[in-house]
Amino acid sequence: MTTTALPDSDPSAAARLDALDRIGEIGYPTRRDEAWRYAPHRQLGELSFGPPVEVTRAVPDLDARIPELGGPRIVIVNGLVDLNRSDLAAPDGLHVSTLADTLAERPEQVTTHFERSGDEITDAYLAVNIAFGNDGAVIDVADGVTVDVPIHIVDVEVPDTTANASCTGVVVHLGRGSSATVVETHLGVGRVFGGSNIRTTAELDDDATLEHVLLQDVPDTQIHLSRVDVTQGRRSTFRARSFNLGAAYGRVAYDVLLAGEGAHADMSGLYFGFGDQVLDQQVTVVHAAKDCTSRQSYRGVLDDSSTGVFNGGIDVRPGADGTDAEQSNDNLLLSNRAEVNTQPRLEILADEVACKHGATVGQLDETAMYYMRSRGIAADEARRLLINGFADQVVDDVGIAAVRTWLTHRLGHDHE
Amino acid sequence: MLHVKNLTAAIGDKQILKGLDLDVGDGEVHAIMGPNGSGKSTFAHALAGRDGYEIAGEATLDGADLLDMEPEERAAAGVFMGFQYPVEIPGVNNMYFLRTALNSVRKARGETEVGARNFLQIAHEAMELVDMNEDFLNRAVNAGFSGGEKKRNEILQMAVMQPRLAILDETDSGLDIDALRVIAGGVNALRGPDRSMIVITHYQRLLDYIKPDFVHVLVGGRIVESGDYTLALHLEDHGYADFVNTDLNDAPERPLTGAPS
Repeated sequence: MTTTALPDSDPSAAARLDALDRIGEIGYPTRRDEAWRYAPHRQLGELSFGPPVEVTRAVPDLDARIPELGGPRIVIVNGLVDLNRSDLAAPDGLHVSTLADTLAERPEQVTTHFERSGDEITDAYLAVNIAFGNDGAVIDVADGVTVDVPIHIVDVEVPDTTANASCTGVVVHLGRGSSATVVETHLGVGRVFGGSNIRTTAELDDDATLEHVLLQDVPDTQIHLSRVDVTQGRRSTFRARSFNLGAAYGRVAYDVLLAGEGAHADMSGLYFGFGDQVLDQQVTVVHAAKDCTSRQSYRGVLDDSSTGVFNGGIDVRPGADGTDAEQSNDNLLLSNRAEVNTQPRLEILADEVACKHGATVGQLDETAMYYMRSRGIAADEARRLLINGFADQVVDDVGIAAVRTWLTHRLGHDHE
Repeated sequence: MLHVKNLTAAIGDKQILKGLDLDVGDGEVHAIMGPNGSGKSTFAHALAGRDGYEIAGEATLDGADLLDMEPEERAAAGVFMGFQYPVEIPGVNNMYFLRTALNSVRKARGETEVGARNFLQIAHEAMELVDMNEDFLNRAVNAGFSGGEKKRNEILQMAVMQPRLAILDETDSGLDIDALRVIAGGVNALRGPDRSMIVITHYQRLLDYIKPDFVHVLVGGRIVESGDYTLALHLEDHGYADFVNTDLNDAPERPLTGAPS
């Protein structure tokens, strides 16, 4: 791992330097760290995370590769917003800006994104992102406003031959009683080694509703780290939909804090691996207030020699009485070389708590195959229908038709 | 149409069918009755092509060797099996499944595929036959269906597929009398000179509604008695006891001493 000097100083510079110092204390994760057990540490060490690097190859037309959502859009290439490809125009009550501009003009708006206490910086890649991820998107929705169009954040990694890896930041704030949908599409260009490290901080005030869709589809020559930290106020609703599809190592991590009474987190996701891919979901929901509900429902389909990881935590803090939490993880293994590692982590320190969790790992249902074939459907087609049927139950959870269409195409396209 | 000769089926060391002979002519409905474990369902699966059995003997449909075909090829040849336990397939839309099935066999037969619009008409006619409403089509295949709904869905599929030979495996099991009437009505509407049926059942009750041309008694993996509809009535009154004993008499390894005279 090589790091270069910090970019221009800004008001968050102190916090960012502290984060770099923290790496010295905690070191980089290893296989012994539960949350990083399946990460490719050697390759991660070869990546050069740092400030944005110049794009040295042509970036192809992105429109063909992303869902067409029709709303505001911020495109980030190698850690820098590309204004030519972006459209910041937003309806009343929604403010969309770049993270770099916000740091320069209204740094207080992104304080919580950068200023983390030492204890909160639990791993070096978070520290790296705090240190170098000084551009990206900032979304702010005013109290009581319902934003009808999805806000699209497109993060593109274009590695050259230096194993460069970008850091990007996304900050979302939803005012009291507001609602919005944010779609993050993470892509890459080219067939060379590289990486990306994108971190989203979302704050939901009381009674706000956020639907957050994450589409991870970088090339399998790259390593991708996504992290989403959410803090929820009273009676707020966070809906997370993640589709972890690309990358040699694709990691999607959520840390959701139910801080206000009656908050609700509804999270689902799909990971669909081929070749030697490792697709890693790290989900933690912390119940820190009374009467909150959370649902985690993750599905994996793993073909060839791919590996799936689901590490799902429910953490019920003292006093969080009336907690209602459920977690499920279902996996379909299509090859005898494919592997899945599923682990629930439950820590319950409150009373009157309802917690359920369950995990399944199975193969294609032979009886269902026979049933379909007895109806004249050829074995290959029956197999495809069964796999799609399993995956579509997550796709159907997405509210935006354009995203469902994109996913159907992406999933159908790849295993035909 | 269907010609079965000396058909045997085994799972591992366990011989289930022990030389079954059956001929079904065009437009005929044959009932196969028998006690539990006699091999009724195995016979149905042997004709439909389920994996896992060691099969020998002959089974031809219109002269084509069924035993040599994959299940989907048998469907294209005109075989349809109504399952005793229809399989739930979460996530696969019933309408999409039906249309894929129909177009798969049409394609295999070199016929043109049916478009969405025409298919809807076919599906609606089939739904009317078994008194199902539109939302069945939009649900996942059998997922969360009641026992009766699953069986109606089987007959709906049969109506869409228009098979040459329908094998209905205990279609009456688990049905109340109203559901039984609906299903029997659907089956009867699908009877015709070009379509033959094998109706497998444990109870005579179903045959009050679907009147067979022939009744066969299957015991111990063989057909031990054949007759017309009155054979079913005899079974209703006397059960399978006569035939079970007959079968025991046939088994030389079983000493007969002490058997009631």
